[in-house]
Formats: sequence, C-alpha cells, structure tokens
Amino acid sequence: MAHDTAPTANTRLFRPGYEGHNQISARTLGFWLYMLSDALLFTALFAAYAVLDTPMNAAGGPIASQIVNPVEGFWQTIAILGSVTSYSLATVAMKNGNRGGTALGIVAAIALAVVFLAFGVNDLTTLAAHGDGMDRSGYLSAYFVLILTHAIHMGIGILWMLVMLVQIPRYGFNEMVVARMLNLRMFWQFQATVWVCVYVYVYMIGA
Amino acid sequence: MAGSHSDPLAHPEVRQGSAVRYIAGFISTVVLMGAALVVTMRHGLDYQSLVEVVGGLAALALLSQAALFYGLDISRAQIWKGVSLILTVPLFIITVGLTVWMFQSLDQRTMVMPASNAAASQPTLLQ
Repeated sequence: MAHDTAPTANTRLFRPGYEGHNQISARTLGFWLYMLSDALLFTALFAAYAVLDTPMNAAGGPIASQIVNPVEGFWQTIAILGSVTSYSLATVAMKNGNRGGTALGIVAAIALAVVFLAFGVNDLTTLAAHGDGMDRSGYLSAYFVLILTHAIHMGIGILWMLVMLVQIPRYGFNEMVVARMLNLRMFWQFQATVWVCVYVYVYMIGA
Repeated sequence: MAGSHSDPLAHPEVRQGSAVRYIAGFISTVVLMGAALVVTMRHGLDYQSLVEVVGGLAALALLSQAALFYGLDISRAQIWKGVSLILTVPLFIITVGLTVWMFQSLDQRTMVMPASNAAASQPTLLQ
C-alpha cells in the first residue's frame, strides 16, 4: 500500500472511518487473538491442575473422585451449550435485522448461563461449607481456581450481554454494535469450548 | 472494498452465521459428551484407556465446535483465524505436556510413598 507521508509519532495504527480499513474485520481478528491468549491462561491452569491432582497434594482432604459428579456436570454441559446456541441464534436474528429476535436470544442465553453458574456455585459453596474450601489443600486450590476462572469469564459474558441489551435498542445495528455482538459470540462460544475441556478432564477422567 | 460506511450487516462475519450450523454444533457436542459420560459411568475401562477414549471424544467435540460454532474454514474472511489457531495449538500441548512430564519425572525420582498411602491413591496423569 502506498503512503503519502512517512509515519510519525502521531500516526495511528488504525483509523476509524478510513475506507481502506474494515473495522469489523480488524476487531474480530484482534479479539480472536486475545481469545487465543486467554486460552493459554486456561492451559496454564490445566497444567497446574495436572500437577496438583495427586493424593499427596490432597493433604488428607478430598480427591477428585470424591468431589466431582459427572452426571451433574452433564446437565451443566447442556445448560452452557444451550446458552451458547441461543446467543449464536441471536446473531442469526441480527443478520436478518430482527431486533426482537436478537434480544430474545440474548435473554435466553443469560437465563441458561445463570442455571449453569448456579450448579457451579452450589458445588463450591457446599465444599467450602464442609471445610473443604480452596485453602484446604493444593489440589482444592487448583480445582477452585480453575472452576472460578471459568465462572468469572461467564459472569463477564453475562454483563456484556446486558450491555448489548441496552445498546441494541439505543443505537440499532450500527458498526460498533455489530462488532461487539460478533466478538461476544466468539467469547461466549469460547466458554463452551473451555467447559468441554474442564468437564472431560476434571469431571470424567477424575471420576 | 467494503468500507466502514457500508451496511455492517453485510459483513462476511455476520453473513456466516447460520441457525442450522449452530444447532448442529449443539447436537454434536451434546452427543459426544453424552457418549463420554456413558463410558465414564460404566467404569469398564482402565485409567489409560479411559483417558484415550474420553480424550478422543473431547477432541472430536472441539473440532466440531471449531467448524460449526466458530465457522473456521479456508475462506478469505476466516483464514487468519484458522492459521493463528493452528500456530497456537503447539503452545497448548507444550504447556501441559512439558509440565506433566517434568513433574512426573520429579515425582518418580523423589517421592517414595509409604505402602498405606499408595494403596489409597487413585491414578492421575502424574502417576
């Protein structure tokens, strides 16, 4: 690409409104790259979990097979996948310019995400109430941090959806709103991907 | 070239959304996880085989999500997502694989577990 002027300290990497740039393409690829680095965060947590998942690190406390319930985890799997599918369908409604359908899909996605989180929070609070909180052993620290990191991501996703429920009626499907909806779709689908790894590794192989 | 003043809903990232694909992604992941659950609950496999079978089903679920949820393909609009993902996957494997390998080796060389504790242990990736 030809440049008329040499770059200076004020040269912007990305100029909104410049015809040669496509905001949505740039923002979705940028967000995708962020998600890959977020996946590496989870990878580090999985590595820590693998190391701390031994009877020695349970320090006399419970081990994986005593605290995980694969059947309950399956209901969580259905809830989170339902939420992701619901949000994804909301973006299909957006594609058709249907604001009502988009809002409905987002509301259903939030409801299913709350169901998912209720299962997880119930598990963790029950454990903590029995004296098996995250300070009980190295194993439980790794378990709590892994589950809570995912739950915090879910909470941020719910917050983001609530913001979109305000922005869609306010601004309509303009470039900014569409780019945020698309990034949230990736972010939300990513939560289901992480959960598949957590479910298989912690709930099934640990059972 | 599509500029920023064109209709945002005409962007390929929006156009790629498809109800059929998303519902197929939901069904395929639920079926694969259901199969993994059945294998787990039967307790018919030893630890090594369980890891292989359930891990294989998880890998299939992740592939189906990549294609059906994220819509990764080799089109011009999507190619860089696929390329960056493929370049990142080795980092996932190295991070978990090297960590487990190092600590497994450390565990075998340094930890002499009393017989009573060893009997109470359950198999894990480290042991």
